[in-house]
Amino acid sequence: MARYFYFGVKNLLFVTSIFCGIAFGQSSAAQEMNPLAADPRAVRVGGSLFRAQCATCHGADAKGIEDIEAPDLTLMYLRDGVTDASVFQIIREGIPGSIMPPHTFSDAEVWTLVSYLRSAGIVGTSTTIEGNTERGLLLFNNNCAQCHRVGVRGGSLGPDLSSITNRRSQDALINSIRNPSATISRRYKPVTLIFQNDGIIHGTIKSEDAFSIQIMDSNQVLRGFRKSLLQEVIYGELSLMPSFPASVLSDGDINDVLNFLQSTRQ
Amino acid sequence: MKIVNAKCLLVKVVLSLFASFAYAQNVNGPGYEDILNGFNDPTRWLTYSGDYSGKRHSPLTQITPDNVADLRPIWTFQSGTTTRGRGWETTPLLDDGVLYVTGSNNYAWALDARSGRAFWQYRRNLPDDLTYGASAPVNRGFGMLGNQLFMVTLDAHLMSFDRRTGEVLWERELADYRIGYSATMAPLIVGNKVIVGISGGEYQTRGFIDAFDPVSGERIWRFNTIPGPGEPGSETWPDDPKILAEGGGGTWMNGSYDPDLNLIYWGVGNPNPDYYDENRAGDNLYTDSIVALDANTGDLRWHYQFTPHDVNDWDSNHMPVLANIEWQGAPRKVVMVGNRNGFFYVLDRETGEFLLGEPFTATTWAREIGPDGRPIVLNDGSLGCLPDPWGSTNFYPPTFFPGLDLFILTARETCATYVPEEPANTPGQSNFGGTVFIDAEVGYGALRALDVHTGNLEWEFIYPSPTFGGVMSTASGLVFAGDHEGNFMAFNADSGENLWHYQTGSRIWGAAAITYMLDGLQYVMIPSGTTLSAFALRAP
Repeated sequence: MARYFYFGVKNLLFVTSIFCGIAFGQSSAAQEMNPLAADPRAVRVGGSLFRAQCATCHGADAKGIEDIEAPDLTLMYLRDGVTDASVFQIIREGIPGSIMPPHTFSDAEVWTLVSYLRSAGIVGTSTTIEGNTERGLLLFNNNCAQCHRVGVRGGSLGPDLSSITNRRSQDALINSIRNPSATISRRYKPVTLIFQNDGIIHGTIKSEDAFSIQIMDSNQVLRGFRKSLLQEVIYGELSLMPSFPASVLSDGDINDVLNFLQSTRQ
Repeated sequence: MKIVNAKCLLVKVVLSLFASFAYAQNVNGPGYEDILNGFNDPTRWLTYSGDYSGKRHSPLTQITPDNVADLRPIWTFQSGTTTRGRGWETTPLLDDGVLYVTGSNNYAWALDARSGRAFWQYRRNLPDDLTYGASAPVNRGFGMLGNQLFMVTLDAHLMSFDRRTGEVLWERELADYRIGYSATMAPLIVGNKVIVGISGGEYQTRGFIDAFDPVSGERIWRFNTIPGPGEPGSETWPDDPKILAEGGGGTWMNGSYDPDLNLIYWGVGNPNPDYYDENRAGDNLYTDSIVALDANTGDLRWHYQFTPHDVNDWDSNHMPVLANIEWQGAPRKVVMVGNRNGFFYVLDRETGEFLLGEPFTATTWAREIGPDGRPIVLNDGSLGCLPDPWGSTNFYPPTFFPGLDLFILTARETCATYVPEEPANTPGQSNFGGTVFIDAEVGYGALRALDVHTGNLEWEFIYPSPTFGGVMSTASGLVFAGDHEGNFMAFNADSGENLWHYQTGSRIWGAAAITYMLDGLQYVMIPSGTTLSAFALRAP
């Protein structure tokens, strides 16, 4: 309890001090650089402000809440044209026609939010993964391309990997290859449909309501069904992606594939 | 030619006299007696719930379980204004073939009920520094008396319009929006008063219920939901006038009314801050309560608090449902509430006596209400997740089906972890006071029918995700409901069997259906997304 109070006072003093700094420094309304970019305290204070003011819609981890169409802010900085200044602008002015309101925070407070969001943003693998690009391409074509796309080539059953190394760390990518069922993204949840005539289709769920289900089947065809025509809908926990143990793809093989993926990213 | 013309003119004059005579009853618009008449005139829908009881149960029987499969869209109206993240929460009013409809962002329309075409459109110029009104720019409907319409606004005003033109007659400020006040509810007309409530319980606000004179726009009385220093109820707060003055307790969903007892029943919202409670020890009356007020004076007759000392944002802003039922062998006037805290309640509405409280979701917060009417709290959050801040149900209307004695509501099964943190407490900024982690993987919704005598679940229909749609029933044995995936649906009230569905294209969020007779056809109507859809069994 005392901890909360202490934290609050500390934040207030910090915000006050940086507000004075900005006010007496330069005009802030039109500035394009975050004046607090180099200050590690700004991330902490911004995080606290974010959890109090923004997390209700964007989630405590800033990853968004789909129910209310609040976007994943950790992916924000991956988009073209997104800068600290444009994020500042959105927080300040809101997004007309959406639930995102304008905010009356002081400039200093908005910049702490920008600092926090910058820090929470996914930056992927910043260093080059050691590996053989050509061998990686070969391994990718043999093991992955049937379901995953890179650029214009490959399948669609799994996620597009063209820029995956921008969004996931090397460790996370290795883990996904070794154990694909550990975390399955929302639009790739496996499902089995059993028809009245006992026919079976496997696929991934793209959408669903009380009366219908929309899937991509294992032949990568989009198909919609009325549930009344189905005998059963079985929600699976095992990803349609096979796992690749070291006996199939060695650590070196995986690094070759990741090096290839890194070489293709935009 | 001239003679013929004169004859035609004569015929026209006679016809027009006849027409004006035929419609004379509507020239002055509906009075209080007409609202009291409720569902006895099924060509009208004059108040939010259709009548004062809040049952949302229509006596109409043209659409039945046997023919509802033939229900089809007749027309749609596109509002062109949206509330991303929430929904079109309004209940249209209907009189004399004209629908009066409010929309998000303080738009409003008068629509031809036969075609969906607009007679007029209104849009309020809202300030660009809205507070709570910017994050929830919704509206739940008009109140109507005579030729006047009443609507509350996101910058916390009450407005009166001429219903024939959409022109503004007067407007009054309810409270200062810059602090965090807003208004979204549908005004309730009682006698010669316009009753309104206020939003903004996450800010430095103090909730109230106001009564206004419809003609002069002068305020007649105000009931403060947070007591002043020394007033009854203040003993449930710290002895600090500043904390009381910012105690929250919004009144953002309209209430119901018993004309015999002359009591208004109204729900009160969360204490401020929502999750952080270090500075507000005590039960925090009258937050998360139902209050029964004398309609003439606004005096408090009784109250019942559903969630003492709330730390989960479980506002009790629900439509109180009034019914006269047999209760343990004797007739009883009751008020029923399906509460955000996960319990279904039956109270005596003359005295506020607690009669029944049973859980309708899998909530672990509490599983029973003690004999003193207080919940026996088992899990304050330290024993695993609790229902999320949107609650086990919410403000969207339930329905009561007399005879079957079923209370039918949309339930939400969710899992959330609350992490309190002291808020900055600044005017104009929200004060949730912490963070909530919601496990989106495990949530779902359900339409549930409860036996009002026991709280037992009689039937349910499962939705894939936690749903925010309201419910209506008709005497033919039908229940109409909407879900988060956008389906508008009809169910057999007896069994819960789904009989019909129509994909509206956008989730049904905060709204419940209305139904009425027009030109011999029974219509059913629901807003979703930016679309208002009217259904009937055949084209007119």
